[in-house]
This record gives sequence, structure tokens and C-alpha cells, in this order.
Amino acid sequence: MATVTAMPARSRKQVVGRSRRTLAAAVALILFAIVLPFIPPFTGQDYQRYLVGAAYTAALAVAFDFTAGYIDIVNFGFAAFVGIGAYTSALLAVDLGLPPGLGLIAGAGAAGLVGLATGMLTLRLRGIYAAVMAWFVGLALMGLVRNLTDITRGSMGLNVPRLLGTDDNLPYYYVMLALLLVTIAVLTYVIRSNVGLAFRAIGQNLQAARASGINPTRFLVLNFTLSCAFAGLMGGFYAHYYTILTPDLMSTTRTIEVLAVAYIGGRGSLWGPAIIAFPLYIGTELLRTQLASLPGLHLVLYGLLLIVVMVYWPGGVAGVVRKTALWWERRSEKAADATTSSAS
Amino acid sequence: MTTATNLRTVPLARRFLTFTWGVVALVVLVLAIALIFQPSIFVDTLVTGGMWALMAGGLALVFGVMNIPNFAHGEMFMIGGLVSWVIYQPIRDAFLNDPKNMFLQVVGPIPGILVAAVVGFLVGVLLETVLFRALRKRSRDQWVMNTFLLTAGVSVMLVNGDRMVFGNDYRGVPRYWDVHSLQILGVPVAVDRIAVFVIAMISIGVFSYFLQRTRTGRAMRAVSQDETGAQMAGISLNRIFMLTMGLSCGLAALAGAALLSIFPNSPDVGVQPLYLAWYVVILAGLGNVQGAIAGAFIVSLLQTLAVTYLGLGWVDVAPTAVIILILLFKPSGLFGSEVKGVWEQ
Amino acid sequence: MLKITGLESGYELLQVLWGVDLHVDEGEFVALLGPNGAGKTTTLRAIAGYVPALHGSVTFRGQQISGMSPNKVSAAGIGYVSEALNLFPSMSIYENLLVGAYTVKDKAKIKANIDLVYELFPRLHERSGQLAGTLSGGERKMLAIGRGLMPSPSLLLVDEPSLGLAPIPTLAAFDALKQLSKRGVTILLVEQNVNTTLRIVDRAYVLEQGRIVLEGTGEQLLGDTHVQEAYLGI
Repeated sequence: MATVTAMPARSRKQVVGRSRRTLAAAVALILFAIVLPFIPPFTGQDYQRYLVGAAYTAALAVAFDFTAGYIDIVNFGFAAFVGIGAYTSALLAVDLGLPPGLGLIAGAGAAGLVGLATGMLTLRLRGIYAAVMAWFVGLALMGLVRNLTDITRGSMGLNVPRLLGTDDNLPYYYVMLALLLVTIAVLTYVIRSNVGLAFRAIGQNLQAARASGINPTRFLVLNFTLSCAFAGLMGGFYAHYYTILTPDLMSTTRTIEVLAVAYIGGRGSLWGPAIIAFPLYIGTELLRTQLASLPGLHLVLYGLLLIVVMVYWPGGVAGVVRKTALWWERRSEKAADATTSSAS
Repeated sequence: MTTATNLRTVPLARRFLTFTWGVVALVVLVLAIALIFQPSIFVDTLVTGGMWALMAGGLALVFGVMNIPNFAHGEMFMIGGLVSWVIYQPIRDAFLNDPKNMFLQVVGPIPGILVAAVVGFLVGVLLETVLFRALRKRSRDQWVMNTFLLTAGVSVMLVNGDRMVFGNDYRGVPRYWDVHSLQILGVPVAVDRIAVFVIAMISIGVFSYFLQRTRTGRAMRAVSQDETGAQMAGISLNRIFMLTMGLSCGLAALAGAALLSIFPNSPDVGVQPLYLAWYVVILAGLGNVQGAIAGAFIVSLLQTLAVTYLGLGWVDVAPTAVIILILLFKPSGLFGSEVKGVWEQ
Repeated sequence: MLKITGLESGYELLQVLWGVDLHVDEGEFVALLGPNGAGKTTTLRAIAGYVPALHGSVTFRGQQISGMSPNKVSAAGIGYVSEALNLFPSMSIYENLLVGAYTVKDKAKIKANIDLVYELFPRLHERSGQLAGTLSGGERKMLAIGRGLMPSPSLLLVDEPSLGLAPIPTLAAFDALKQLSKRGVTILLVEQNVNTTLRIVDRAYVLEQGRIVLEGTGEQLLGDTHVQEAYLGI
């Protein structure tokens, strides 16, 4: 808001031009993602499995960034909400025979509800307290799933029916890609609306937001619930794609993996985490399979990248792209100025 | 001024009827009952509580002095266990070849435990000088959250680095001191656990003395209360930060080494101690070192009760639930936070 | 003893000092006066090492001290009592003084200095076990000055001791500074309370908009028309 009003009048045209360029880039990227499985080496089943995993990770990172990047709450229990969605959907399918497609929705609903309760419980707190409380809630949820072995089979693992009646990875990739795009579309829509404006106001300065008549708690809880619901949706997909569930899915390590992708991609951008997830996930999976003698190497890299981003590179990839775009715009602006002044 | 007069005029009885003291009184009561009817709960609480106090005390110290919520604290525990295991192996072999050698039997485990503490200290110093100092130089905006995520990265790296180099196997010792258990209050207690308790008590004593009575310890507390004021007094922040991080990591490594026979070393052995230390620190109030030492015994009691009456699987769930409940009533922790600017973050 | 030439300094986006020249000689009691926002506090902070110097130099006993970190400046013998006081609220008065003596190795000297502070401010002696966070405004100022004296600084920088104090504690604070000066401590005092200050100091500077505009002895400045119009309301 402030940046728009502060801009000189003549740059309105530029803003329109910029959004058109953004749209073009988005369409190009989506098309690229659609044809990717037909470009070698992605035609093989192995690589297509990586693609599914990458799209899954991307969607999680986007949903995570929705809270971390906009309302400045780091949900350290994020993986637990993925797990709630996964177990809800899986148990409905296993015990009641509900079709997995409906189970996904139910999983999202369950994770959203638990997210709502957690949000109401913890979002009176800020910063590190909120993060740690969400973490504790996540740990408690994981403990429950692990201990209620009669229902979840605990660490022995729960076998889940597949989402589609095929073992081919390609259809799964398109389902997951569709889920990813829906996630990005919905969350971007929310961010661009007045609600999103309130989110950013709260994230940047809670007191000022409150002073200008925003009821922060309601927005915080709304944001948190939405993020958890999407986490649950992806959890459902995870359950019916990988077909085996253990409580490990809900562990803090899983949260940190998503968190690392979100921060390396650049917090507060949604698209940054989505894009970076692909090379990052595929690259680390390749490392893992090529260097099986060094277990954990890929996670060492995640950790290292997260450290580097936190210390030296706070905006992540999105930050670098933004800075470059700004530099480019300034340069072309200067060039335009030069031509107009020489003409007059 | 107002708080001062309030403290002086509020009647003693009212001061002790607060929520905090209620909880503390409840804990003491439960322990007293346990002492009479189920001494094992009493003994277990004290033995494990001592070690969690070391973990949590260090965690609270680093938060209090440096405002860093250390997520990699559990990995210091892991490193401690690893170092002690590596050093103890040859000594143990020598002892097994010469089972009559009482000297090796008694003193054998000690070098590993001591070296582990020293290595922990050095790792802490390294973390401060390489990572935190660099981040501090770049920006102190959102410091608490950024360092939390930074240490999360450190944690992932150390866990998987360990996995990469040493593999997933458990590396433990059945016992440091392989002798008959002693009877305490009618409960058999392994000598290892007694040793653990003694090590914890000595370390806590030295640690408290250091913080309260020595020049450097006082300087640490000064930095935690007012950084600018500390600089005015000629205290070098960098030096204190280095020592604080080293001390905290050293204590965690010491705990990991001392508990090697109970927590066999593996890449993610630090996870549970990390959770526990965090429960304690949040329960006691972030950055409150003395509160953390007291809180460690409360959490230890909750854990022991959960294991005794609910089963081993609930060892984490029950304390978490109780802590979440307590924090709903007292978000700043039982003993209050002594930290500057936590709430503004 | 302290010599500042052409000092320019300020914060990230805001330069505050635009060439300050001043000097303080051994044993002098010098005041730095001026309106709000003139840069008095920034000058002290720049000397003490909390704000970087952009240009110019600060030398102390011939040694260049601009660019040094605050704890080095303190170790060089410059004590600083800030506006915010920066006491350690959860420590007792006695402990605050002990931390103040952090750079002193000699135990006997620490004890002597504590005695000196207690002699200067008997009230601190009475309450030596009380936590600093529970002290009154006047007591807090005394403690801050006392802590500043603990390393026996050769130069003491004092920022607005009268800030937020009632008239009587203010006079007590000035009195204490006067006594210190008599004992041979060199003092550079920043104040807004121009009238009282000019009556107790040897010499004073007037700082306006980041530059020194006037300099003179207390009496000279009391008689100056600009000072009378702008600060004394005559």
C-alpha cells in the first residue's frame, strides 16, 4: 500500500507492465511443469517419482510460507498437521471404505479444525513463544498418534489404499501438480485481498495493526487454520500415494525440511518456495540415491543451505530475483529517462 | 518504585498463594507422598531431574545472555555421548582384558566424560564465532526467530553429519561402573545412576557458584540484564557470548556423556533431551537459569509419573499436555522471564 | 586530556553531528549544553564508542579512541553514565558496583572504590543489598554514577543526571558531581538545566544543530545574551 502511493504517478504504466510480465512468467512456468515429464530424463518412472515428491514438497512449503512469511508465525508443529490430514484420510479409507478423493477433503477439514483449536490456544503468544507452543502441540499430537496403536498401528505403520487405481507415477504427478496450483492460487488470492493486507500489517507491526482497527487474533487464527488445512490436504495425498504411514511423518525433522525449502525459496513470496522446491528436492534425491553410502548427506545440505540463507541471504531465492528485477527496472528506467531528455 | 513498595507491603501469606507457588507446593506434596508410598518415583525424579537441570540450565543461560533459543542444544548432548564413547572404548577393552584392575574400573569412564565436556565447550565457541557473530554483524532484526531457525539448520546438519560419518547404529556402553546396585530407600539404584546424580549435583553447584560469585559469571548476568550497561563497565560482549555458548554446550555435552549408559549414542539421541530441556525452559520462563534448574525436577516428576502410571509411550505426551495447560494460565512461565524484549519479538 | 576535532557522527540515515570541536583538560568540570536534538547525547555516545565517527578524531591522552569498541573505551579510562542509566535490575546495588569494577583486578582497590561510592552516596550504603530494579529514580542515578566511578576513570561522561528527577534529588545529583570534581575527577556533563549547570561547572560549550556555537566559563556564558535569550528566558 505504502509503496504504491509513494510511487511517482508515471509508473502506473510500469505496474501494469510488471503484473503482465508476472502473469506471462507464471503461465510459462506452469506449461513447463506440465510438459516436464515428457522431457528426458524425466520420462522415467524414477524421475517422475521425484517430480511427485517435489510438487508435494513445494505445496507444503507454500502453505508453510503462508504463515511464516506473512503473519510472521513460524509453525514448528507443521508436520503434525500434515500427519492429521494423512491419518484422517487413511483411516477413513481403511476403516470406513471412504474413497480417497473424499478422504483428502476430510483430512484437510480435520487438520484445519485442529489448526483452528491450536491457533486459538497459541496465537495469543508471539514470536518464539508461538513457535514453541505450536511445536509442543505438534509433539503432543505425534505422541498421540504413536501411542493410540489400536487405531493408528503406531510405529508399525498403517497400510493405505492408493489414490488412483494405478502404480504409474505420471497421473499422480498431475494430481499433485493440480493440488499445488490450487494451493498457490487460493493462497495468492487471499494474500492479494484485504485479508492479505491485514496479514501483512500484523506480520510487520502487530501494535500498529491493532491501532488501525484490525483484530489481530481473528486474522492470525484464520491464517493459521487455512495453512493447516492445506497441510492436511497434502497429508491426505501423501497417505494415498506412498501408501504407508508412520508417526515419523509428523516429526519435527519433517517440519524443518519444509521450513528449509520455504526459507531457501524466500519467505513471504509463495512462488519462491514453490519454484525452488523442484531443483532442491530432485537434486537431493539424486544425491541420496547416487551416494547411498553416505546416508544423511542430503539433509546435511538442507541444513547447510538453511544456515547460509539465515546468515547471509535473508530473502532467499525470491529476494535475489526481486532485487535483480528492481535493478533491471531501474536500469531501463534510467535508459528511458536518457532518451526522453535527449529528445527534449 | 511501585513494585518495590508492593513487594514490601503485600502480606507474606498472599505472596505465597500465587499460581506459581501453588504449583511448587503441589510438586513438593506429590514428592512427599511418593517418598512414603512409592520411593522409586522419588528416586527416579531426583536422578533424571539432575541431568535435565544441566541441559535446561545451559539452554536458559544462552537464551538469557544471547537471546538465542538454541534448537541444536540436543546435538550437544549427542556430541558429548559420542566423544565419551570414542574415548571410553579402548579403556573399556583394557579393563575387560584385566578385570581385576580396580583403578581402570573406577576411573576409566572419567576421561571420556571430561573430554566430552571440553569438546562441547569448543563446539559452542565455534558456533558463536562462526555463525552467530556473522549474523549479529549482518543484522539483529528478528534476532530471536532467526537464530532459532539458524540453530534448526545446525541441528539438522549435525544429526545427519553424524549419521553420514558414523552410521545409524547405537553406540553405547552397558554400564560405566559395572557393579551391584545400591539400595536407596529400599529401591535398587544402579551405581551409574548414582554417579550421574553426583555429577549433575557437582556441576550444578559449580555452575551456580560461577554465575553468582565469580567476576566472569557476574559479567554474564550483567550482559543478560543490560548489554549496554555491561559494555559501559568494560565488558567485551564478544568474549562473554563466546564463553556463554561454550559453557552451555559444554554442560549439554557433559550430560550426554554422563548418560551414555542410559541413552546409547545415535544420531538422533539428542531429540528427547532437547524436548525435555525446552519443556523445562518454557515452563520456568525463558532465560531464567535458576527457574530452569527447579523446573527440571518438576518436568522429571511429570515424566516419572507418566511412565509409572501410563506407560513408557506417554513419557513425552503427558508432560507436554500439562505444560501447555500451565502456559495457558501463565504464558511467561512459572518463574517469570528475566529476558529483555522477549515479548516484543 | 580529551580532544575532539571536526567530529561528524550520527545514525544510519541521519547525521547528527556536523563538526564538533571541544576539549576537556585534566581536572576540569566541563558542560555541554544545548536544546533537544542538538546532538549532545550523540557526542557522548560517539566518545564512548556506541556510535561510529564518520569524520574527525577523538583522542584521549594522545591516544586515538574513535573507532574503538565501547568496552575498549571504558578500559582506556573513560566512564560513561548514560541517560537510560543501563543498570542491572536483578542485581543488588553491591553487585552492580562490583560489575562496574569489572576491569579492575586489584581487590583492595575495588573495596576502596566501593567505600568511596558509599561515602559519596550514603543512601546506597544503607540499601546495598536491594535490587537495582526496585530503587527510586534518584537512587538509580546515584547508583549509575557510582558504578561509573568504580574503575576509577580519569574522565567521566555524564548524560543528563537531572532527567526525570524532582528538584531536590536533582540538586543532590549536581552536588555529588561537584564533590567528585573537587576530588579531582575530570567530568564532561551533558545537561538541559542550563542555569544550575553553569553555576557549578568550570567551563561550558553550547551545541546547536550538531555544531559548537559558543564556548566559555560558566560566568561568561551566564552573561552571554544568546544564552540568556535562548536558555535562561531573560
